[in-house]
Amino acid sequence: MTLPSLYSRIMRRNLRRTRFKIGVALTTIIVILSIIAPLIAPYPSEGYGYVPANASERKLLPPSTQFPFGTDALGRDLFSRVLTGTRTAVIQAVSVILISLLVGMIIGVCAAYFKGLIEVTLNYFTELFMAVPSIVIALFLRLTIGQGLHVVIISLVIAWWAWYSRIAYVYAKSIVELEYVTLAKLSGLSALKIIPRHVIRNIFQALTVQAISDLGSALLEASAINFMGLGLPPGSPEWGVILYEAITERGIEAFLFSPWLVVFPGLFIFMTTLGFSLIADPLREDLDPRLRRRWKLWF
Amino acid sequence: MPVSLNYIFKRTMLSILVILGVIVFSYLLLMLTPGDPAVKWAGNPRGPGAVKAIELARVELGLDKPLYVQIANFIYNFLTGNLGLSIAYKIPVSQVVISGFTATLELILFTYLFSIPLGVWLGLYSAIKRGSRIDSFIQSLSIVLASTPTFWLGSLILLASNTFTGFLPYGRVSSKLVLSTGFTPITGFYLLDSLIQGNIPVFIDALVRIIPPALAISVYPIGVLARVTRTLIAEALLEDYVRAAVAWGIKRETIIRQFVLRSIIPPVIQISGLSFVYSLVDAMVVETVVFGREGLGSILLDSLHKADFRVTLALAVYLTAFYIIVNTLVDIVQATIDPRIRL
Repeated sequence: MTLPSLYSRIMRRNLRRTRFKIGVALTTIIVILSIIAPLIAPYPSEGYGYVPANASERKLLPPSTQFPFGTDALGRDLFSRVLTGTRTAVIQAVSVILISLLVGMIIGVCAAYFKGLIEVTLNYFTELFMAVPSIVIALFLRLTIGQGLHVVIISLVIAWWAWYSRIAYVYAKSIVELEYVTLAKLSGLSALKIIPRHVIRNIFQALTVQAISDLGSALLEASAINFMGLGLPPGSPEWGVILYEAITERGIEAFLFSPWLVVFPGLFIFMTTLGFSLIADPLREDLDPRLRRRWKLWF
Repeated sequence: MPVSLNYIFKRTMLSILVILGVIVFSYLLLMLTPGDPAVKWAGNPRGPGAVKAIELARVELGLDKPLYVQIANFIYNFLTGNLGLSIAYKIPVSQVVISGFTATLELILFTYLFSIPLGVWLGLYSAIKRGSRIDSFIQSLSIVLASTPTFWLGSLILLASNTFTGFLPYGRVSSKLVLSTGFTPITGFYLLDSLIQGNIPVFIDALVRIIPPALAISVYPIGVLARVTRTLIAEALLEDYVRAAVAWGIKRETIIRQFVLRSIIPPVIQISGLSFVYSLVDAMVVETVVFGREGLGSILLDSLHKADFRVTLALAVYLTAFYIIVNTLVDIVQATIDPRIRL
């Protein structure tokens, strides 16, 4: 099934549900914000972490009409920083999920298609990487290759691809046994053609739904890594980093006296994650026929 | 009915292989990332003692020997817990990790003590009241709970507690109270220790300080369990044995308690096992940065500031091993309860 037709089918079927509508609305807002954030932020350069010239006069101001979310300890407008952070959030979540999905799908399908030693080996590595905690990998990379977006993305991909590999393996395992795959093999098609045409195409929908429902968790983990100071450097436009600066760098008392520093970035993380989850929830129900079945009322 | 030894043996063997693989992976991380492994192992030393420290690290890692000897050596050291002294704490690495581990484990165990029953109850209630307003409310609630950033919620709870009660739940236990009552940790689980010693003030203090972080961490397991339980119960209610039971005129409560709840125990255990490990990472993020408790989180931060690669690698290996052990146990328990899995 092609992506546009899948998309229109999803929309037709689900737009009547309130929760799905809220999810679509939230996600649309976030995606639009991530594109136009630097244009609508009142202080665009402060959004990227530059300290303004008159910083000393406007440190830790509470929310007002001039600064809707207040200002941080270095006098930067929090509203601009949070808005600019939308882009980083979307980039982080989407790239982690896309890379993990791609790597995991290829490895899982190969494990199911090529039996024998390859299957055992690939499944062994899948099992191994499913257990690796992303935050410790992030710490290690932070110590060796420094700070940056790539640290967040690499450490999350290392910890995540195995889950897609497992799902792809389970689905592909049932498909490679089917007759048309055998027939394709007998007619002399190479594995390079059979895998994308016959196997991946049939497991793609299931994997996509899983990927969409994981977008939120990816964002949560990415911002957790940034919150511990393991990812992006201070001053970066990222919600976890803003929280990190508010709590870690200046101690717990500062946060108690200026709560807006914590409330707003966290609220944005929450809203984005919620939007992704609300979209994914009905999709998963559609995918799983057991969930779709009408509940009979003999009980 | 006993589980076949064959299954347990195979499952355990695979887990041991995976743990060995993780140790090798962490060694390769040390070798293949940019920078001299000996310098890293010595913790990026500076000053007059640096050259000597690096030479010592070189000998410790056995960098002059072939790679397979190095790896075998490394695995041996890991398994015997002999990883040298931590750079940040100057005490053996395994001790550092274990002391932090008990603190974090106490927090998570406490969290799961109430979140598993609560999550299952929410899911059950929502499945029984299916289609109603309460059902859709619980479903929305579970999505909201599972997508709340724990560290944010933790900060808000801390803020609320400070604003409304004037009490700041910071740290594991008040040090003043510990000194005045002569409380000494035995197992590292403060709640347990204070009960063993009959030290009620410390117990209450530790309890009050463990509740806020536990609340913050509990959102994920509660949300996930509520959703999973709802689906599982919905499926179980469609089974023929439930219809038969209804036809026999057995009471609703009895059906749910005796048949339906019992049938969902194995998958609930499995989901709890998976989310338990997710919560471990959650706890590491929340406990130190927000609530100022010692534990794996504080160890993580200290090894970040002191460039302590030994503790970092040990954390990676021990956390992975913990995950694998928990999941192996879960699988074995599940196979004991549910005969279908053994096949």
